[in-house]
Amino acid sequence: MAAVENRMVPENLKKHLAVSVRNIQWSYGIFWSVSASQPGLLEWGDGYYNGDIKTRKTVQASEVKADQLGLERSEQLRELYESLSLAESSTSCGSQVTRRASASSLSPEDLTDTEWYYLVCMSFVFGIGEGLPGGALANGEPIWLCNAHTADSKVFTRSLLAKSASLLTVVCFPFLGGVLEIGTTEHVAENLNVVQCVKTLFLEAPHGNLSTRSDYQEIFDPLSHDKYIPVFGTEAFPTTSTSVYEQEPDDSFINGGGASSQVQSWQFVGEELSNCVHQPLNSSDCVSQTFVGATGRVSCNPRKSRNQRLGQIQEQSNRVNMDDDVHYQGVITTIFKTTHQLILGPQFQNFDKRSSFTRWRRSSSSAKTLGEKSQNILKKIIFEVPRMHHKKVLLPDTPEDSSRFKVGDETANHSLSERKRREKLNDRFMTLRSMIPSISKIDKVSILDYTIEYLQELQRRVQELESCRESTDTEMRMAAKRKKPDGEDESASANCLNNKRKESDVGEDEPADTGYAGLTDNLRIGSFGNEVVIELRCAWREGILLEIMDVISDLNLDSHSVQSSTGDGLLCLTVNCKHKGTKTATAGMIQDALQRVAWIC
Amino acid sequence: MSLKPLPSLSFEHPYPPTKLMFSPPSLRRSSGGDLLASSGDFLRLWEVNEDSSSAEPVSVLNNSKTSEFCAPLTSFDWNDVEPKRLGTCSIDTTCTIWDVERSVVETQLIAHDKEVHDIAWGEARVFASVSADGSVRIFDLRDKEHSTIIYESPQPDTPLLRLAWNKQDLRCMATILMDSNKVVILDIRSPTMPVAELERHQGSVNAIAWAPQSCKHICSGGDDAQALIWELPTMAGPNGIDPLSVYSAGSEINQLQWSASLPDWIGIAFANKMQLLRV
Repeated sequence: MAAVENRMVPENLKKHLAVSVRNIQWSYGIFWSVSASQPGLLEWGDGYYNGDIKTRKTVQASEVKADQLGLERSEQLRELYESLSLAESSTSCGSQVTRRASASSLSPEDLTDTEWYYLVCMSFVFGIGEGLPGGALANGEPIWLCNAHTADSKVFTRSLLAKSASLLTVVCFPFLGGVLEIGTTEHVAENLNVVQCVKTLFLEAPHGNLSTRSDYQEIFDPLSHDKYIPVFGTEAFPTTSTSVYEQEPDDSFINGGGASSQVQSWQFVGEELSNCVHQPLNSSDCVSQTFVGATGRVSCNPRKSRNQRLGQIQEQSNRVNMDDDVHYQGVITTIFKTTHQLILGPQFQNFDKRSSFTRWRRSSSSAKTLGEKSQNILKKIIFEVPRMHHKKVLLPDTPEDSSRFKVGDETANHSLSERKRREKLNDRFMTLRSMIPSISKIDKVSILDYTIEYLQELQRRVQELESCRESTDTEMRMAAKRKKPDGEDESASANCLNNKRKESDVGEDEPADTGYAGLTDNLRIGSFGNEVVIELRCAWREGILLEIMDVISDLNLDSHSVQSSTGDGLLCLTVNCKHKGTKTATAGMIQDALQRVAWIC
Repeated sequence: MSLKPLPSLSFEHPYPPTKLMFSPPSLRRSSGGDLLASSGDFLRLWEVNEDSSSAEPVSVLNNSKTSEFCAPLTSFDWNDVEPKRLGTCSIDTTCTIWDVERSVVETQLIAHDKEVHDIAWGEARVFASVSADGSVRIFDLRDKEHSTIIYESPQPDTPLLRLAWNKQDLRCMATILMDSNKVVILDIRSPTMPVAELERHQGSVNAIAWAPQSCKHICSGGDDAQALIWELPTMAGPNGIDPLSVYSAGSEINQLQWSASLPDWIGIAFANKMQLLRV
């Protein structure tokens, strides 16, 4: 088709139009859309022709349904128009465009007058306020033209055309951004319900198939000689209508007996339904939808005429393939207070309305199938599947594994670091072993033992060496003027022993301090490894103990045991102390210091 | 009646999902499509667009702050009243509440001592969960420190596998135990004492679903290949409660859902088939 033109046409317009027009049984429907290329003008949007046809040209087989025929016809008319307009525009160029004369394309002589009217309409363009469509758009109100053939051409520009087409009623109303025009060859009194009907049909018609009832027309004829408008919502129904205009007569009329009771229940139900939704037109597809619509409609009708109608229709209904499931469905849904029936859609066409469940009876066999395989799938879902996603895949049998799972995660990391630590330790132990002489064993405890021994020995040796060096110093100083304590000096160092004894053998000089009368001074220093034992006897004076302690600590000796006693003016002091720090005081130094402090009066 | 799968609507899920659920109707998407959530290794959201032509992944939600992998989820539930709230439960004993509109974690609670197997919303801020430790606990988001235990399985540490909260009567809940043919009905007003124990299944119960429109009906499906509809009376008879109706499927019924929008349809899954049953 000519999709090249810019048209602001709603989707599936043709289908909607078709549906609407066919349902109200008018001759044609045209949607005038606002031109995108020429602003402010209404031009042909789309249309559907539903009127009389002179020559049918179809390629398909004869089982084509009515709606498809209609659509096809409209298409053919459109094609004809296009080819004609093409031919027209190209004659100016001089060349005759040969029309594509396919078997299915129409030629002008095949058309009825009404068809011509329809076709010619395609060429029309209306400005704002111009003609019927323009006027409708400008006012925003529907315009109902009752005697279109005699209308003033100012109001209705196509009135002459309409006359030839014997169109008596034309209605235009603004809709969906454009203007919808419908016309019929019959005289229809002004009734805005028609407009309303078309509007709702337009909106409701789904994209799907149109009604395929080929006997649609036939059913409809006995119903009405006049066309009456369907009722929507809960407005009061015009009492003039003695028939109900059913969109889908087949679905609303339930087959079989009990029709009257059904009507009653419908009425009841219909009142309950808060939304009397307008039904779409595919009854065969959306059964439940139509039901809902039907109830809404029925509620306003007087019962009597309804029954009368029903009686008439029932013979028609035999031709109708109606599921009474629809009714059941609807009743159930209203009981269950759901309004979602509309969603059911085409799948529920042929359901079995009986419940799948049966009455429960206590059965004698009570074989309990509980066991390992019980709840198999459920357990898999809950227990196994979640664990599949983890990086570390577990034994999937029992849920208690989760705790194990968590521990394993941590220990995996720990063991790695643990192993590293152990390796480090082993290395260092080996190093230590290599440093210790005379070590035979390789177990860690022995290594450590040997190391301790070796260290102690080394310390002793250091001690001895240092005190030897000291004693040689003090020997030299002793030669000057030192008083040596009488009494043995114990020395742990074998090497220095001789020196020490020599020192002690050297004569003592009394300090030339005759202040001390009758004082006997004694100083004994013994050192065992790190330990130093100081034994001192001196004249007591006030504060001497503190001074002695000070001196001792000055010598980097940490005294941990002090015994002192005073008597007869004498202080007897025994101090056990340890060398602390790196700088160890030699026995000579201690002696020196103590003598200085102890004998100063 | 025939159902046709729409091939355009199938999408790949990296790991088997543990639960799938559409968003509740109260969640209106600006794009008009439906949100579908799936739980498994992560919480994933998919969008099924309006004309049902495709399902696109929207987001992958990971509730772990530290690692790239979150603890796997056993189940989740979408809050009907507050549709942006979604609660997930996991084997790491926690429940995570998500705000799916902003794709952030609203809160995370340590719910139980062992893995949490199922979670169900009651109101906008109240949810309940069942766990391998055998307890049903109710949590209120306003008071995250405390939870109420309303039931504990009689044999200690019998895991509770599934939980269903009656949306019509918020006092009632149902749960099923591992390897048990009982459906335990609880009333939150009387903790620790079940209101009823429905014991007519001849095999372990696999799935339970409350009727969406009635506060008294519940359906359960089990390993005995039967789906039973029960009506809970106000007073239980001396012999226990008998089901209303039964349907026998071909094999063990593994999953069961009662349609919320079409309340006379129940969907069951058994073997490799899915069936729609009319009530």
